[in-house]
Amino acid sequence: MDLLTSMKISSSGLAANRKRIEAISSNIANAQTTRTAEGGPYRRKEAIFGSEPARDSFADILEGEIDAKAQTVHVTEVVSSNEPPILKYDPNHPDANKEGYVAMPNINVMKEMADMISAQRAYEANITAINTSKSMALKALEIGR
Amino acid sequence: MDVNDKTLQAIASALKFREMRQEIISSNIANAETPGYKAKRLGFEEALARALDVDGELSMNISDKNHHNVGGGGFNNLQPEVYDDPNGIINESGNTVNREDEMAKMAENKIMYDALVGLMNKKLGLQKYIISSER
Repeated sequence: MDLLTSMKISSSGLAANRKRIEAISSNIANAQTTRTAEGGPYRRKEAIFGSEPARDSFADILEGEIDAKAQTVHVTEVVSSNEPPILKYDPNHPDANKEGYVAMPNINVMKEMADMISAQRAYEANITAINTSKSMALKALEIGR
Repeated sequence: MDVNDKTLQAIASALKFREMRQEIISSNIANAETPGYKAKRLGFEEALARALDVDGELSMNISDKNHHNVGGGGFNNLQPEVYDDPNGIINESGNTVNREDEMAKMAENKIMYDALVGLMNKKLGLQKYIISSER
């Protein structure tokens, strides 16, 4: 239980949000992708967050109850959406079906942009938390000066 | 004068608890969007007040050698409590963290921590002065 653990927790928040932004960037970049390795149009990806106790060693958890209560955050998995693709009428498209419809990824770029801003704010909040922990630790070094 | 008196012990304990609170707040901020995570709070003021017992009303008297010391014990067995915030508003993913709230609490915690460091330096300065005033 110390300020370094606080910084570890906040940095886990930074890493998780960076992964989330990666998924969002991928969604925006592939908003028009109709061919993928798995076949079919690109499917929207979403990063799922999960929490874990900040201390992992057994001795640390034995040390006190509180230690197990502060939680770090991690991206537990990146899931591909199962939403059906949007059918767009474009008979000249090489991927069009017999009726002339093309299966386009079910991505709302506006929603992705809003998600990205939300992830950015979360990232900034964690940066602020790291800075606060850092300045507290530096302040503690002034004891006895 | 006791070099390690009640004031210094209280300041040291409070510093330790503020560090713990910083950890809990960091955890809340990091998990602000984790499904099912509940905002946590750390309460230490009451335990500290009991240990300090400025007005002597919070501890039970030990007037007989057969009496047990209940709730006393000074600064050595101070236990802060961590609990889920009962005032949290649950959002659609089952999370109760309010990020603005956490940022405000973190700012307050930092200010109090800095103030405690200042207090400790004042107290140590006083002791230094007493020690050196003999010469």
